[in-house]
Amino acid sequence: MNTLDTLADILTRDYCVAREQITPEATLETLGLDSLSVLELMFKIEDRYKVKITDDTPTDLVTVSDVVRYIDSLLARNSATQRPRSSEAPIDT
Amino acid sequence: MTLRRVAVTGLGVVAPLGNSVEEFWGNLIAGRSGVRRLPSSIAQGLRSPIGASVQFDGKDYFEPPRLRMLDRVSQLALVAARQAIEDSRLNFDAERRERCGVFVGTGLGGAETTEEGYHTLYAQQSNRIKPYSVLNAMANAPAAWIGIDYGLNGPMLTYSTACSSSAVALGEAARRIQYGDADVMLAGGVEAPLVVGVLHAWDAMRTLATEDPDEPSNSCRPFSATRTGLVLAEGAAFVVLEDWGHALARGAIIHAELAGYGLTSDVAHITRPTIEGQAKAMQSALLAANLAPEAVDYVNAHGTATLQNDAVETAAIKVVFGERAYAIPVSSTKSMHGHLLGAAGALEFVITALSLMRGIVPPTMHLDAPDRACDLDYVSGHARTARLQVAMSNSFAFGGTNAVLVLKAIQNC
Repeated sequence: MNTLDTLADILTRDYCVAREQITPEATLETLGLDSLSVLELMFKIEDRYKVKITDDTPTDLVTVSDVVRYIDSLLARNSATQRPRSSEAPIDT
Repeated sequence: MTLRRVAVTGLGVVAPLGNSVEEFWGNLIAGRSGVRRLPSSIAQGLRSPIGASVQFDGKDYFEPPRLRMLDRVSQLALVAARQAIEDSRLNFDAERRERCGVFVGTGLGGAETTEEGYHTLYAQQSNRIKPYSVLNAMANAPAAWIGIDYGLNGPMLTYSTACSSSAVALGEAARRIQYGDADVMLAGGVEAPLVVGVLHAWDAMRTLATEDPDEPSNSCRPFSATRTGLVLAEGAAFVVLEDWGHALARGAIIHAELAGYGLTSDVAHITRPTIEGQAKAMQSALLAANLAPEAVDYVNAHGTATLQNDAVETAAIKVVFGERAYAIPVSSTKSMHGHLLGAAGALEFVITALSLMRGIVPPTMHLDAPDRACDLDYVSGHARTARLQVAMSNSFAFGGTNAVLVLKAIQNC
């Protein structure tokens, strides 16, 4: 499942957004999500991807594709922070 | 200045015993009790594991995105307010919206949200507090949501005077109409206190009724020598109050008249009521209604079933009505629906209005042993038919704010 599909899954299930409304260009506002709903959405993303969002969620997430890009950057950062640990592992042992 | 008359044109109830006026009233006059043993998920460790809950699931009324913005307290309020508006057949599009307002009484506001936040922080050791927590928990959320949903641009206020909160909300709303500040006021009360933290706080006060070992639903026994305390309950009740001329002009059905409102404060002790404070609130409400004590046909008592309240209220009724006190039916419906705290005044106002409309006095249940300090006619055990012209609804409170509302039947208006 790509990021857009996963996000669409969360939005249809937890926010009652119709699947056909969820396009990359759609704004979160037109999907019925205000700024507090977007903050709450981050908890759901943390759970779904088993990541921890440590920074402040950017306030300029306007469209669905903005959120997709943000999730992808989180995942990339997450795997980047994990990689050194796995490469360090052989040295430790 | 001539004060305008206040018509009651809409009623709404979501409470133990029923999620509509008709269902609630049917169970009430049949003497049924909504008091039960609470589920162990919330009642574990309580000295008094009983309460009166509402058979209500917000999911039946609201979509998930909306639901997450509404504490149970706002859900109950919105559903009861909708009923009252539908009953009144008001169309706000035809109204000057700045002349329409909403006043709500509540003691605790969004207790479930507050509790959930603390649970996340202290029990789960997590800082993932829901972003809507402040907006869900704030005491004025129910009034705000009602105002937003119906576009009421007039006065919007929330009153918190513990157990008299919604009697105050109704009385103050009536004043806005009397003085010409508003034409239509939605007024009511709501409480949703059946969560672990709140239950334990009340339990610690030792003011809750002991569970009846044979039948938990009989645990609340106002005016009985065997009374042991109040039973916590949740729910909401709303009314539409309207300028008399405004109601007539749009051809509304007028249920009753809110004729008088009296307000006094005990300022004696944070919990202990005073005979004088309660009596003066009743006298003040009668004065405002321009009625003599002789006119009153029924008193819906505060009647919490605490040792203190029932004796003091009985004495106060005797101060106001003299010898005639013994001839007036006085009942405490809390014996069936429990104590809705901030919503109690509004719910009991609706009951009192229905009594006038239908000529039926609801009973006090579970009064199984007379108390020498409580020797009035409490309509024990069975509802009674009676021709009623004027009735009074009493609401008293921790903190000492006494609020009394006087209603007139429509044939008497």
